[in-house]
Amino acid sequence: MSYLDLSLREVRDLLVKGTVTSEELVRECFDKIKETSDLNALTSTYFDMAINKAKEIDLARKNGEQLGVLAGIPIVLKDNINLVNTKTTCCSKFLENFVSPYTATCASKLINAGAIIIAKANMDEFAMGSSTETSAFGICHNPIDKTCVPGGSSGGSACAVASKQCFGALGTDTGGSIREPAGFCGVVGLKPTYGRVSRFGVVAFASSLDQVGPLTRTVEDSAIMLGVIAGSDEHDMTASLEPVKDYTIDLDKGVKGLKIGVPKQFFNEQLKGEVREALIKALDTYKALGAELVEIDLPSVDTALAVYYILSSAEAASNLARFDGVKYGVRADKYEDLVDLYYKSRTQGFGSEVKRRIMLGNYVLSSGYFDAFYRKAKRVQLVIKKEFIEAFKICDVIVSPTTATPAFKIGEKMQDPVSMYLSDIYTVPVNIAGIPAISIPCGKDKNGLPIGMQLLGKHFDETTLFRVANAYEKSTKEGK
Amino acid sequence: MSDYNVVIGLEVHSELNTNTKCFCSCKNEFGDDPNTHCCPVCTGMPGALPVLNREAVKKAITMGLAVGCSINTHSVFERKNYYYPDLPKAYQISQLEYPLCVGGHIDIEINGKKKSIRLNRIHLEEDAGKLIHDNEGTLVDYNRGGVPLIEIVSEPDMNSAEEAVAYLEKLRSTLLYVGVSQCKMQEGNIRFDVNISVNKDGEPLGTRTELKNLNSFRAVTRAVKYESQRQMDVLDDGGKIIQETRRWDDNLGKTFTMRTKEDSQDYRYFPDPDILAIDVTDEYIESIRKTLPKLAEQIAKDYVSKGLSIQDAELLTLRKEYSSYFDEILKYFDEPKFVCNWITSEVFKRLNNQESEDITIPVSAENMAKLLKMYKNSEINQAVARQVLDEIWQKDSDPTLIVESKGLKQMNDTGAMESVVQKIIDENPKAVEELKAGNQKSMSFFIGQAMRATQGKANPKLVTDIVNKLIK
Amino acid sequence: MAIDLNEAKKLAKLSRLEFTEDELKKFANEFEGILSQVKAIDKVDVSKIDLKESSAKILATKLREDIVQASFSQCQVIQNAPSKKDGAFLVPITVDEEGCK
Repeated sequence: MSYLDLSLREVRDLLVKGTVTSEELVRECFDKIKETSDLNALTSTYFDMAINKAKEIDLARKNGEQLGVLAGIPIVLKDNINLVNTKTTCCSKFLENFVSPYTATCASKLINAGAIIIAKANMDEFAMGSSTETSAFGICHNPIDKTCVPGGSSGGSACAVASKQCFGALGTDTGGSIREPAGFCGVVGLKPTYGRVSRFGVVAFASSLDQVGPLTRTVEDSAIMLGVIAGSDEHDMTASLEPVKDYTIDLDKGVKGLKIGVPKQFFNEQLKGEVREALIKALDTYKALGAELVEIDLPSVDTALAVYYILSSAEAASNLARFDGVKYGVRADKYEDLVDLYYKSRTQGFGSEVKRRIMLGNYVLSSGYFDAFYRKAKRVQLVIKKEFIEAFKICDVIVSPTTATPAFKIGEKMQDPVSMYLSDIYTVPVNIAGIPAISIPCGKDKNGLPIGMQLLGKHFDETTLFRVANAYEKSTKEGK
Repeated sequence: MSDYNVVIGLEVHSELNTNTKCFCSCKNEFGDDPNTHCCPVCTGMPGALPVLNREAVKKAITMGLAVGCSINTHSVFERKNYYYPDLPKAYQISQLEYPLCVGGHIDIEINGKKKSIRLNRIHLEEDAGKLIHDNEGTLVDYNRGGVPLIEIVSEPDMNSAEEAVAYLEKLRSTLLYVGVSQCKMQEGNIRFDVNISVNKDGEPLGTRTELKNLNSFRAVTRAVKYESQRQMDVLDDGGKIIQETRRWDDNLGKTFTMRTKEDSQDYRYFPDPDILAIDVTDEYIESIRKTLPKLAEQIAKDYVSKGLSIQDAELLTLRKEYSSYFDEILKYFDEPKFVCNWITSEVFKRLNNQESEDITIPVSAENMAKLLKMYKNSEINQAVARQVLDEIWQKDSDPTLIVESKGLKQMNDTGAMESVVQKIIDENPKAVEELKAGNQKSMSFFIGQAMRATQGKANPKLVTDIVNKLIK
Repeated sequence: MAIDLNEAKKLAKLSRLEFTEDELKKFANEFEGILSQVKAIDKVDVSKIDLKESSAKILATKLREDIVQASFSQCQVIQNAPSKKDGAFLVPITVDEEGCK
């Protein structure tokens, strides 16, 4: 048995006991990284930095020093998270050689807790995509079936965790980019409440929707990691002052007496096949564990995708305007004048999905269309949010599939952007409402591809999410 | 001679004198090497986020209250999106739908006639970086990028270059009195754009043009005169005014097309999702109102009640620097009329004679007060007072020490003075005759002689009294 | 709902992106598909929604204090500049205030 088969918490216990050193863990991770390089989950690795840090921590531990909650644990960051003096590329040609002059708050928090950042993970360019196929540095493969996508945009993070190249990873989620790949790769992926984790240092896609979150092997690991990265930040006005809880505290409380909301809009005839079967089975498990299932109504939830594409594209178009070839990033080799420099640098540096979103974003913001699209979408967003708040009056968590199908084949959806966008149907409403949600594995299809179940929680109630998710995870693991 | 009305509106951008920038904690300071007051936020690095400066909001509200604006209790920051190298994020954080202040007015007076110019709004936004042209290209320095600005937009209530300049003078004075800006034009603290149109009586407002690159009040005067004439000429020739932005060329004394409406940008304003809406409570507004510094008019009234004439009070309150200096001197030497006379004559004269436009008075208030005390108490005479002022104007120091060390004290000893005067009388019988004949000018002769005899230390009044006594 | 070539060109200008005629045509077609999806928001009744009420707010008195913190060094600021000179970013001579093509 390899240490890599253990969960983050299990390996931490061994570190504390002295059974294993951090240096050994780092070496094992790097062996695995080498072994699985064909998956192309990572964009950069930091062996020397990691070994040095590991040795430091091992020594400190030997000397009986106080260590952080993640001391000595190898972690991977999605490549849109700034880490000083490393490249932060967002998997775009534009930032291929961009060296971060600073570190994101979420990464600092991990480092202060003793975590060892061993690598940056592959992703869809600028986080726009659901398959990691738009990465400028090659596609990432699903570790269970290499002919399939790992999901996106945090595909590399999910793949790295699933293929045991690390014990946990950070991803970002704007419309499902942590949960969908978690579902496709068979790992746990959490999108915290909007504002729970600071976005400072995380390259912005859609500022009002982006959140950083952990990808891990178990629910408990997810709760541990959230506890480290959550909290307010003087560098981010949108990071909430809501106090950070001990998210592990209710993990084993079980679900007796809890109400699980089942939206009729999610469990209609559109949900079919093996995914439907897996979800129904999971609901039965919950019933057996003592939860009550309650039907809920989210009448406007099917407009969430439209709202998402309007708002996220608009914000992205504005957020990506700074990539102009003046201060950093790609600058075209040949240009006639300043204006030409802008056009050529951006055209060369961005991939087609990014260009598409920027164009759409400028469309919905342009005068003449602003009211009909952007402003209207903002209002519809509030309607959706209110419907969730209303639904949570009669249930504690809501359940849905993470995606309608398991991982699709590489190349299957690239030709039709609309069909790619439709893979976000269950995940997007969560970002629109700003609520937290977690994806956990709930079975496999006949090809062995993981199926994901999504649990949605009330604002700032990740504790209940973890509790309900853990109950399912424990029951099915114990069943093995 | 045309029968057109000229209609002018002004947009003034004033940098606020906060310690830090609007959205980050970098120093708000002019000069220094390029890009040395910068961070990921004000240079638009990927992943950076804005954090609004409390003091910038407070100063904007303070200015708003000082000019009679109403303050929006719900205020929103928006992104103004366009591309230019001095704009690192490719959007400027500004305000549109819910600015901090709305309405308000600036009152001006020209040739005794008062006029109230309405304001449309005052909003808070961030400044762009600086571009320096070079033979190799253009250099971009973001030190100024992110500095907080208030934009003060007037209604088109002005009708002449004089009114426009009076408005700008008053606005600048108010900014200084309220203490929210340094207003140093040479450092770019304050910039103005002019909107101007012409129309005949009874006709609707004409198409307006926007004038940019006006760097002094004089430029405003010249540009307004040029552009209004240009527009009138175009219309008289049967042409139409194109709505456009024009650049003022101070050397050529003309305006040139910069960009037309067709080229104009679609700024795609939308509320900035990184910045929460600002909740300004009524309590907060009132607390700021209570600490509003006095403005020029109120201070001038206070001065009049201290015994100064209205003209003198207005002279002293023309600039905050003058009234502050005056107030400071009074703390050490409470003779308002005496101090005022000295400042408006001797101090203003020296300031006007200076090469630079600098109006900093190089003598500390305390030292100036000491000088004036000696003068008022007849310890020194006027000539000596002026002489000592010249010296301490070059190098600020304690005037009592100078008077002491150089033995400049006025001779007030009647006995000693009598012998000096007696000698002069004896030596100048002709002058005595003229004086007795009623020629008062001869008294200056005696005073002059007394000054010579005493190395300038004679007390003119004492000399006069003694002469009059001795010639009887 | 269509988007014609001229509109596509205007968007390309706003986006500072260059496309060939063919690429623009392809884009316009894809766009149509996306826009028809996005129109789904039309059917929602938003008459009772007040955006002002519901936006996240912060008290003016709780904003960041005006205290200077250390800036980044000039080196760090320009470390990724494609072209630099004398501590500043270097670009071709700029003409107008707002670069229009």
